[in-house]
Amino acid sequence: MKKIFVILMLSVLLLGLVGVASAAELSGKITIWCWDPNFNVAIMEEAATRYNKINPNAEIEIVSMAKADVEQKLNTILASGVKKDLPEIVLIEDYNAKKYLESYPGAFADLTDHFNYSEFASYKLDFMTVNDRVYGVPFDSGVAGWFYRRDYFEEAGIDVSELGNITMDEYIELGKVFKEKTGKYMQAGDPYDGGLMRTLLQSAGTWYFDEKGEPNIVNNPALKEAVRIYKEINDSGISKETSGWNEWVAAFNGGEVASVITGVWIIGSIKAEESQSGKWGVLPIPRPDVPGSVNASNLGGSSWYVLENSENKDLAIDFLNQIYAKDVDFYQKILIDRGAVGTWLPAQKGEAYSAGDPFFGNQKIYVDFAKWIEMIPPVDYGLYTYEADAAIMGVMPDVYSGKISIEEALKQAEDQLRNVIGG
Amino acid sequence: MNRKLTYAFIYVFLTISAFVSVFPFYWMIVGSTNKSVDVNKGKLTFGNQFLENFYKLSENFDLGQVIWNSIQVSLCVVVFSLIVSSMAGYGFEMFKSRGRDFTYATVLLTMMIPFAALMVPVFRLMTFLNLIDSLWGVILPMIPSVFLIFFFRQNFQQYPKEIIMAARVDGASEPRIFFSIIMPSMKATYAAAAIYAFLTSWNAYLQPLVIIQSQKNRTMALFIANLASGYQPDFGLVMMAVVIATLPTLILFFALQRYFVQGVLGSVKQ
Repeated sequence: MKKIFVILMLSVLLLGLVGVASAAELSGKITIWCWDPNFNVAIMEEAATRYNKINPNAEIEIVSMAKADVEQKLNTILASGVKKDLPEIVLIEDYNAKKYLESYPGAFADLTDHFNYSEFASYKLDFMTVNDRVYGVPFDSGVAGWFYRRDYFEEAGIDVSELGNITMDEYIELGKVFKEKTGKYMQAGDPYDGGLMRTLLQSAGTWYFDEKGEPNIVNNPALKEAVRIYKEINDSGISKETSGWNEWVAAFNGGEVASVITGVWIIGSIKAEESQSGKWGVLPIPRPDVPGSVNASNLGGSSWYVLENSENKDLAIDFLNQIYAKDVDFYQKILIDRGAVGTWLPAQKGEAYSAGDPFFGNQKIYVDFAKWIEMIPPVDYGLYTYEADAAIMGVMPDVYSGKISIEEALKQAEDQLRNVIGG
Repeated sequence: MNRKLTYAFIYVFLTISAFVSVFPFYWMIVGSTNKSVDVNKGKLTFGNQFLENFYKLSENFDLGQVIWNSIQVSLCVVVFSLIVSSMAGYGFEMFKSRGRDFTYATVLLTMMIPFAALMVPVFRLMTFLNLIDSLWGVILPMIPSVFLIFFFRQNFQQYPKEIIMAARVDGASEPRIFFSIIMPSMKATYAAAAIYAFLTSWNAYLQPLVIIQSQKNRTMALFIANLASGYQPDFGLVMMAVVIATLPTLILFFALQRYFVQGVLGSVKQ
């Protein structure tokens, strides 16, 4: 009997240890789910501090978790149909936004009448609009740039003033010349990563899907061109093959490659290697050689969404409005501190955007990026960007080996994609 | 000659296996002493950032709270899970009833259902019980462990029934037999089960992920996942956090190592 008593006591002790879940919630609390402690989370904390000066009665809790975790939790909550304990604001990646909006109709607050959307970059609106109603607050831009090493280009005698408006083919030729002269690679990348493919598609103003959401692969000239460019890059030997994020970043941190074509968010990783300060510059990206393409594009980026059934929905909307659609100074601060390029256009008249960056040889890089943001062709990402990405990358091995033609590859990829999404 | 060759092969194989098992630990410890850039570059030698990383981690995050949450979850799961599962395993083995084998088979079958499939129902249940964002919401679903019930039953099978008979003849009640005779004589089994329960709850990810909502209640696994995400994670910090997360498991394992081997082999003190 004594032993049982001991066990019971132990149980009571352990129960006490964990305590009771806190019940009463303060009125006026905004809960925000987002990822990346150094970027989105830190930026939201800055926004919260600013909003508390306007409205001291709002309590803002920012919950930082991995991106996959935000998605997992959001899916669980929305699928379960539970209407309590919802966060007020969530961050969703642009490529995935439409999937959420269409899979869970009514789950997100209609923000159309709360924001002046003409002040935001137009390319950020298509994917967050369903039946002419807008459901998100556009946040960071993944405006693409061609980051290059000034010292390497100089060494190879490349004149950058002629590189503002080139095609991908010219870029590849340049890479070959560069490699011959210096022995170094022009770029690094995973031949099976779809990032560049998406960048090229958007610069041509098209996507894996048409306006109706149907797969647009076999008869998509821009996509055909992009696949050809992938093969060309692979065959030309100008790209150092890396796998995964770390190897890729290490390739340019380690000075093994002369340039990187990617989203503006890479600046933080480039700057991590302090010894390369002053040696970098940014050019407009090379474009695919198809009608209508521009030397500007986008890769990634995300936006804020308010949950319709959350407790303090109106407060959350006011918060986003006061900071993300009114506070020019906020956008200067997050650009300087975090390298975050916002998509609320009035902010780009601020002084932080016009300053030269010593790391990039005093180039006024954000003036350039602001210019390119307005050039990005808007595209509707549809529901299945990553599924399409996977389908295309699935046929790339056979394209690289020359086993099948590009036409045949696209046909296989489209069949595969239709199988996956049940179209 | 032939024998020597066999030994040579065995040693080569074991050396490679040892290297493969130890290398990640080495990499983890080396990483915690380096800057993020160097971790990225794959630097394999020790750096001088150990204290710096530790300082940054404990300064910027409420590490103490995170560890404390994980410890609470793991301790509760270990204690309750061991009691519940061993009693269940004992019951299945010692008491015969009509539906026993069918019930046991059904319980075992639930092992086949991955948590991902149960996630939405579990979430709804926890909302109903008002346990969302509480550590009890994490602990309760982890207590009944089918694997441990199976493990205990296997071990009870080898337990000499004569001892139980003798105790019954002497007039001991069934709970008394279990708690005063069975439990103390199966320390090794319990130790092995404790390590298993500790490991699964300490490393649990998906389940706390859906239940825990606020920053202050999250566990170590959630914390590390958050740290490792983003455009440019600081891998030095991540490695440091992983080192810290590994320590309790290591300590527990070394403390119970002797029992663990015995317990898994299924020996019973006679």
